[in-house]
Amino acid sequence: MAVTKVVMPRLSEQMETGKIIKWLKREGDRVQSGDILAEVETDKADVEMEAFGAGVLRKILMPAGSTAPVGSLIGVIAEPGEDISALDRPGGPEMASRPAAVPPQPRREDPAARTPAPAAGPDRPGVSATAPGPPQPARPAAPAAAPAAPAAGDAPGRVKASPLARKIAAQSGVDLRLLQGSGPGGRVVRRDVEAAATSAAAAPAAPRPAVAPGVEFEDRPLSQMRAVIAKRMPLAKAPVPHFYVTSEIAMDRVWALREELNGLEGQPKISINDFVVRACALALLDHPGVNAAFQGESIRVFHRAHIGIAVALEEGLITPVLRDADAKSLARIAVEARDLAERARARKLRAPEMSGATFSISNLGMFDVAEFSAIINPPEGAILAVGSVRTVPVVTEAGLGVGRRMMLTISCDHRVMDGAMGARFLQDVKRRLEEPLRLLV
Amino acid sequence: MAKTFDVVVVGTGPGGYVSAIRCAQLGLSVATVEDDRPGGVCLNWGCIPTKALLRNAEVLHLVESAERFGIKVDNVRADYAEAVKRSRGVADRMAKGVEFLFRKNKITLFPGTGTLKSRTTVEVAGAGGAETLEAGHAVILATGSQPKSLPGVSIDEKLVISSTGAVRAETRPTSIVVIGAGAVGMEFADVYASYGTQVTVLEALPRVLPIEDEEVSTLLGRLFSRRGITLKTGVKVTAVKPGGPGATVETDSGRLEAEQVLMAVGRGARTAGIGLESLGIQLERGFVKVSPAMETSVKGVYAVGDMAGAPLLAHKAMAEGVVAAEAIAGRHPRPIDYGNVPSCTYCRPQVASLGLSEARAKENGREVTVGKFPFTASGKAVALGETDGFVKVVADKATGEILGVHIVGPEATEIIHEFAVGRTLEATLEEIMHTIHAHPTLSEAALEATLAALGQAIHI
Repeated sequence: MAVTKVVMPRLSEQMETGKIIKWLKREGDRVQSGDILAEVETDKADVEMEAFGAGVLRKILMPAGSTAPVGSLIGVIAEPGEDISALDRPGGPEMASRPAAVPPQPRREDPAARTPAPAAGPDRPGVSATAPGPPQPARPAAPAAAPAAPAAGDAPGRVKASPLARKIAAQSGVDLRLLQGSGPGGRVVRRDVEAAATSAAAAPAAPRPAVAPGVEFEDRPLSQMRAVIAKRMPLAKAPVPHFYVTSEIAMDRVWALREELNGLEGQPKISINDFVVRACALALLDHPGVNAAFQGESIRVFHRAHIGIAVALEEGLITPVLRDADAKSLARIAVEARDLAERARARKLRAPEMSGATFSISNLGMFDVAEFSAIINPPEGAILAVGSVRTVPVVTEAGLGVGRRMMLTISCDHRVMDGAMGARFLQDVKRRLEEPLRLLV
Repeated sequence: MAKTFDVVVVGTGPGGYVSAIRCAQLGLSVATVEDDRPGGVCLNWGCIPTKALLRNAEVLHLVESAERFGIKVDNVRADYAEAVKRSRGVADRMAKGVEFLFRKNKITLFPGTGTLKSRTTVEVAGAGGAETLEAGHAVILATGSQPKSLPGVSIDEKLVISSTGAVRAETRPTSIVVIGAGAVGMEFADVYASYGTQVTVLEALPRVLPIEDEEVSTLLGRLFSRRGITLKTGVKVTAVKPGGPGATVETDSGRLEAEQVLMAVGRGARTAGIGLESLGIQLERGFVKVSPAMETSVKGVYAVGDMAGAPLLAHKAMAEGVVAAEAIAGRHPRPIDYGNVPSCTYCRPQVASLGLSEARAKENGREVTVGKFPFTASGKAVALGETDGFVKVVADKATGEILGVHIVGPEATEIIHEFAVGRTLEATLEEIMHTIHAHPTLSEAALEATLAALGQAIHI
């Protein structure tokens, strides 16, 4: 039988629901396997959803703008004349049948793709939940049990907005879901978006939609990303026993080296963070105990250094992964990190670029932060929090001088490692940063 | 003994009668005061009777050009007096319609001149004596406007006539100088020229219909000239005197003679003698200053229509009338979008526009895309034999926002509204593009101009 069910694919490890931004095929369109059916917004990015069967897209069960749990039936591909009457309602989990849509596939041989998902068994590749494969009836994840119809109502549904408002929002980066529409029936119209865009430009840290006088607060629906963060952070913090180790790094030589490197024509501009990424990547290979993940019955030690770099977005944060950072030059790291950050802000990351980190770095240096500590992103074993490079008085053998200093704080999973391991790793990072020529060779 | 109503409306033109009806619909008791006939200038002396005259001009043109359609008509005789009679009949019928609507909505009409005595008191001086009306909720002023003249020239409605005089006169002059090439000037030039009067139109600004898009003015100027109407732009009139066949018009570029002169240089608000000063109601550039809810500077006194500011258009007055009524009834009406009021001239061919001209859009710093579609490429227009004109769409390049629409051609004044609805809904070029337009219609030109702005026109 040539009926192919189109189900909401799992496009990232944490994804539990996906919002259909738009269907690129319409009911009645003939589709080939591999055609892009729709664009789906996940907690992390906007991803294209491919067809996994050929035929005619007979039914679209979840219209654009609606949200569906992973695995639920959202459409039907079948030959004309095929009886699909049993499938004309948006369905619950379809995991037992062959999924009709797959996300862009990571290379299967890429060990990064084998980073386990938090809720998964030790041997299940993290992104394979969406890959065609054997039935997985024992999935414990919540969405499998969630009824489909109310789920569409749970999540922020269709935003009422004028076509012009949508276009201006798309061009100015305003999130329509955060706006209070002033048009008929709460419709978001041009002036709402323009007001939001103007106030966002005036105060880039926090867009302030126009607030009616006398209104003391408003309840904003959680964005997909915020909802995931809210759900995951308690699970990241409470069950994971954190300990913290802080060290001060003399940054004078990195600073000077960076100025020199950035003075070279035709070279990409290198940031302080790029140095930190490179130093950590090299140190991780020498300290495999830190480049490790707690597995319940075992500790998985990674042989590659895939560094997650936290990127702040208006509605949350996202941690794209710079793979094999130990094998990449500073210039290459600089180029790739910038590209990842830019695409993260545009929400144009592909699913494999958002998973598989073995270690993460969070840098708040641009906010003039002396030091802070970060929450580990499970299943990773540690995360490094990077403060600002500050000019401070320093005591040397010659007496009192002025130097550039930066504080690094590593948060470690005590189930994986102990204080001394964290301290030794940090010491190694410090040595590499204080003797930065080591990072060039 | 004063008579008390919830609302007293002074003036029953489009602003006044609509606000009165809307107030009544919202459960308020309403009195209206009118010193002429219900319906105001629009129904009696403006919009409606001129449309009737223009229709006569159009029918005459069709008959005279019937040979194009293979129809031979001999001995065509057009009686101008009959045209005016028909026009009066149309106006009478519409004015009676307003009286009927007043009765239907239980609105009391007080004939006479209304004067504000206080925030809540209107004194009516009528033929049958004086009445004092008390307004429990609010007073709505809707006294309209009157024709303006040039300094030193008085409108005597004999030698120098206004549109009101022109619409009444059962004879037409053999020659006329029309001063002002706005909508009124161009419409009367059309009527007179169609009936055979030698018409000269003078305009101080560099082009006819100076508020329209430049391409509109250029085309209309060319079409009028082709009909034998003399157009002189950039001309300043310095004096109008009796002399020659009737009147002599002195300008900075020479002297003109004609049997009559039609003064069509614009209209001014009627604000005198209705008690505005004593109440301290503020004016702004000759018009009554109002809030977005149409309330004047004095609480409880509202003003709508021509007296409340530009544009001086009946449809804008009606919209304001509704806003004022709803505000008085305690609703919170949506303020009028003055950037989305269609402007229409009913000459042949018709002119209609909305929003910004191409030049103004660019002055505002917008990067625009312009789409234009001529009626010569429209099947319906060719079948009608009315191919003069075009639809021009000016849109924002980045967003497709429809910034302005400019139409010259058959039924331009009807075609404009799809863009007005589109703009109200904040539709962009794409939504117009995805709207299937019936074939063959004149409205297809709207679709094609939209497609042209997107670089996708099919039929050109």
